[in-house]
Amino acid sequence: MPVWQVIYDELKADYENFEIISVAQDTGGEAAAGPIFDAAGVTYTSIIDVNHHISSLYNLVNVPSGVWIDEEGRIVRINEGTYAKEHFDGAFGTNEYVPIVRDWVAKGVDSEHVWDTAKVRERIVDRTPDAEKAQPAFLLGSYYFQRDNEAKAEQYWTLAQELDPTSWNYLRQDLLYEEGGSAGPEWQQRVQDFEAQGREYYAPLEIEGDSN
Amino acid sequence: MHASLKSMCYGLAAGSLIAASTAQAQDATVLYNERVVEIEQTLPDANDLWVKPEDLPRINDFELKPEGACYEALCIPVLQDRDSDMYVTRRGQGWFNVTGLADKLQQAYVVDYDDAVWSFGTMPVKRQQFIRGGMAPDFELNDREGNPVRLSDFRGKKVLLLTWASW
Repeated sequence: MPVWQVIYDELKADYENFEIISVAQDTGGEAAAGPIFDAAGVTYTSIIDVNHHISSLYNLVNVPSGVWIDEEGRIVRINEGTYAKEHFDGAFGTNEYVPIVRDWVAKGVDSEHVWDTAKVRERIVDRTPDAEKAQPAFLLGSYYFQRDNEAKAEQYWTLAQELDPTSWNYLRQDLLYEEGGSAGPEWQQRVQDFEAQGREYYAPLEIEGDSN
Repeated sequence: MHASLKSMCYGLAAGSLIAASTAQAQDATVLYNERVVEIEQTLPDANDLWVKPEDLPRINDFELKPEGACYEALCIPVLQDRDSDMYVTRRGQGWFNVTGLADKLQQAYVVDYDDAVWSFGTMPVKRQQFIRGGMAPDFELNDREGNPVRLSDFRGKKVLLLTWASW
């Protein structure tokens, strides 16, 4: 997050019409996400989204995720694991994303990293009818969580995970309140099983021009 | 003989219980996007959520008009001069079936019947521009200072929308 602030300051100096909207997917609200925004000294738009509304609206299943939205409200890139840089010597994160953001902000529609509608549609995650139902189930769990009814919060968050097993957000938000935590053994095992099937934990970054 | 008489009595008792509960309408809570809407009176029903037409707009922005349940240019026809699966009149009061509308719109919902909390998903009709056309769905959420942030207020700008989490 401090890295995004640096990039924001850099780009904003030259391109007044560039904005970042950063949305924390945190049922824990201000207490959970607020200090992280504060520590980073964030000046761009910051939102704490206790119901994971943005992930459900944009069919995103993991964090961090990024969406590029142009001046007309058209999506020109979506659903990528969007770290601002590599962390822990490349253990996770990437240094490849920020350069393409810079390119887009500078060139707009002429950037080779802008996707056409067909490509955007292809990268929007499809949802089954069950996965559609996971969203109101999660919302119901959050309603109870915010009213300190842990039993019902657990009941509906579990239901959400069963209805949409592709959502890492639903899984990890729930695990946060259980023994082991959001990055504990249960999560590690799930990631391992998932990757053993040849699938990628983060939606892959497809950087244009890589093969050249 | 005794057994059937007994079950008949139970049947009567159960029947009168239902009659008693339909006499007084129940309250309900409706969740939709960031809304938590308290409804004072609903028509008791084992499966569906029936509300007074005047409560509909604050639930999901639809409005009951003579031609049907309408949102912007979309109208779902609803007959109001006779009972149907979408609309009934009881003791002179009209009731609209919110879950019936959801079914017609393929809008997902999950219910906690014990507490009468009805949680609705986003409406597919509001998402077609996104799914088919790649247009960014609009949203309204408060920022950390409590000011509403609407994506539509960012027209004319390039927006990098980032999600993250503390967990």
